Amino acid sequence: MRGVKRLALMAVLTAAALIIFTIEAQIPSLVPVPGVKLGLANIITLVAVYLLSRKEAGLILLMRIILGAVFAGSPSTFLFSSFGGLLAWIVMCFLKDRIVESRIWLISVFSALAHNLGQIIVCVLVVKTPGIFIYLPVLIASGIITGSFTGFAAMYLIRAIRKIKL
Amino acid sequence: MSGSIDNKHALNYNVLMKMSTRKLILILAAATVICLAVYFAYVLLAPKGATAVIYIDGEEYKRIDLSTAGKPYEITIETEFGSNTVLVEPGAISVSSADCPDKICVHQGRLTHAGVPIICMPHRIVIQIEGDKVDAWS
Repeated sequence: MRGVKRLALMAVLTAAALIIFTIEAQIPSLVPVPGVKLGLANIITLVAVYLLSRKEAGLILLMRIILGAVFAGSPSTFLFSSFGGLLAWIVMCFLKDRIVESRIWLISVFSALAHNLGQIIVCVLVVKTPGIFIYLPVLIASGIITGSFTGFAAMYLIRAIRKIKL
Repeated sequence: MSGSIDNKHALNYNVLMKMSTRKLILILAAATVICLAVYFAYVLLAPKGATAVIYIDGEEYKRIDLSTAGKPYEITIETEFGSNTVLVEPGAISVSSADCPDKICVHQGRLTHAGVPIICMPHRIVIQIEGDKVDAWS
């Protein structure tokens, strides 16, 4: 896949990620712990890493974070989601060739953990209160659960899109 | 679609690859349970406290003695980041309203014990109760 088709797929994935991100931001958090969320938009980043390339996935992520802050967030949301998202993307890039495709969901677990870790680090730096680290175990647990969920979603989506032969 | 194990780099990560999916899921589930257990143990074992401290942007903003608070009253905190209304009751403190998008600080409810603080990340506010004594741990 190259040229215009590739560009179009990137645009579609960016739009999809942005919609997922915006809708998710409207859903009230089930657990009253800052930073716990489903992270559904990460599905798109993972799909892009496999269907396009690491670099293009990073670009899609960047666009989603910037546009997401414009549509659904505030400057501080931007800070948290960009650092967490960046760490998650780095982990995905690192693990892509190191984990077999039948275990893509595992990559999502690790990237969700990286995302939550990044978020709590930014939070501690911003709020300057180390007491927040007590939320770390909750964020690890939620990272494992939501990461597996979004990971399986991404895995089946990648398989489905590959069957279409774009 | 290739679901086979012939990825050329996969060999480097034998530990993750050799493990059966069932085992992986068990390990992840165990990690989840342990993390939640640690958290809830911390919450349940936290000592009671009577002094609430409100921090804004890392600096102490106000210190409130909850034991001497007679009638419940509200404090409104206005900063450059936004506005939060804090409800002070005898022995408890909570955020009753805020103009942040997620309202997590409001959902966190009443704080009566030391340990887990109330956080409003977008407004950089942390509310914490200081434990009277740490006897519970010794």
